[in-house]
Amino acid sequence: MVVDPDSPRFARQRILGGFGPAAQRRLTEAHVVVVGAGGLGSALLPALAAAGVGELTIVDDDTVDASNLHRQTLFTPSDVGRPKVDAAADALARIAPDTVVHARHERFAPGATFDLLLDADLLADGTDNRPTRYLANDAAAIRGIPLVWGSALRYSGQVGVAWDERGVDFRDLLPEDPDADGGDTCEIEGVLPTVCAVIGAMMASEVIKLLTGVGEPLLGRVAAYDALTGTTREIAYRRDPQAPRPGSLEERTALREPDPGRAVTAEQLAKLLAGPTTAGVHETPPVLLDVRERPEASFASLPGSVLIPLGELPGRLDELDPDAPIVVYCHHGVRSARGLEVLERAGFTRARHLTGGIEAWSVLVDPAVPRY
Amino acid sequence: MAEVRYFAAAADAAGRDSERLEVATAGELRLHLIAAYGDAMARVLRSGAFLIDGVVSRDDAAPIGARVDVLPPFAGG
Repeated sequence: MVVDPDSPRFARQRILGGFGPAAQRRLTEAHVVVVGAGGLGSALLPALAAAGVGELTIVDDDTVDASNLHRQTLFTPSDVGRPKVDAAADALARIAPDTVVHARHERFAPGATFDLLLDADLLADGTDNRPTRYLANDAAAIRGIPLVWGSALRYSGQVGVAWDERGVDFRDLLPEDPDADGGDTCEIEGVLPTVCAVIGAMMASEVIKLLTGVGEPLLGRVAAYDALTGTTREIAYRRDPQAPRPGSLEERTALREPDPGRAVTAEQLAKLLAGPTTAGVHETPPVLLDVRERPEASFASLPGSVLIPLGELPGRLDELDPDAPIVVYCHHGVRSARGLEVLERAGFTRARHLTGGIEAWSVLVDPAVPRY
Repeated sequence: MAEVRYFAAAADAAGRDSERLEVATAGELRLHLIAAYGDAMARVLRSGAFLIDGVVSRDDAAPIGARVDVLPPFAGG
């Protein structure tokens, strides 16, 4: 090993109760992959290097911008325009010259970047976008290693541990929304720099705890910090045993393509409802079956719909014609998929459901239908 | 009565950290929150999640338990 666990640099952590030389040795033997060398990485990376982590791989495709410097304190004004991973590697070499640092100036993505995890003990994600968070979550799950994640925006931040093998991952906290945009980032939203320092340091604590076995990791718990009130609240969560689990990495990262035999998009539905006069459409307009609850339907619905809340559907099938074309819809396309299964089991042959629900209809077809 | 806790952007939208509400389902809670707190809350709810007694739910028919945590999509780094 390159980092000496007996170095006097680590004296004050080796004498900690419950830590000792064995924990220090685990740090020096560890390889941690850190995705994102921004505000969180600026607190996380130097903490890990200084604590004696033996090998660090940093993945980030961004360059240093002047607007980063208030919170990304790993960088100096002379680094502006340089790849963040190179500037970070230089800074870490000054702090811990014996830590092996791999700088990867690329986006974390399936393929070569994932191969970096083959001998990694732990993945840490401090990026500012959701697609990378789910990729990191799934890559860690496939490798069987823990993911330490953090977020910081405006005056608040959150940190947690996702470890599929131990029962919870990030999807158990926030399921992926296939319709979501890239999400808020600090680029446009602003962030108090010290929130990044707090959350990055908490991430480093979790990494060190997981590598050494000291303490209780934030597994099934999120620490949510609010700088304005100076408080930290805990969000406890657990896996829903009924929830579908994604399978292979390919399945997990694939774009969802609705089955054309069972689903229609909002645009397709608009054409079907316009009737057989529309070019290329020769079908009778379908019956619209709304399976939402009554307050939702009175707030917003598609004209001419039949309302049968999902819970009542099995008992009210005789109100529907099993041979008629039916399009089931709900708010986002989840309940309608269940409703479709109810119809299919009852022998309905021409039923489909609306992908993305009435929400997709409002966005893609008719903005006059209010969103909620 | 359920204890409803708001985090990050959800707390910004609600202007508070928590409150007690009488709602039966996740869908009712969603409609109540949008009526009470407007577009800012609607944006949070579009891609956020409800944790009902610690279990995530995007099913509007899900019954509300003792505690709901309203989470925005945690972002930013």
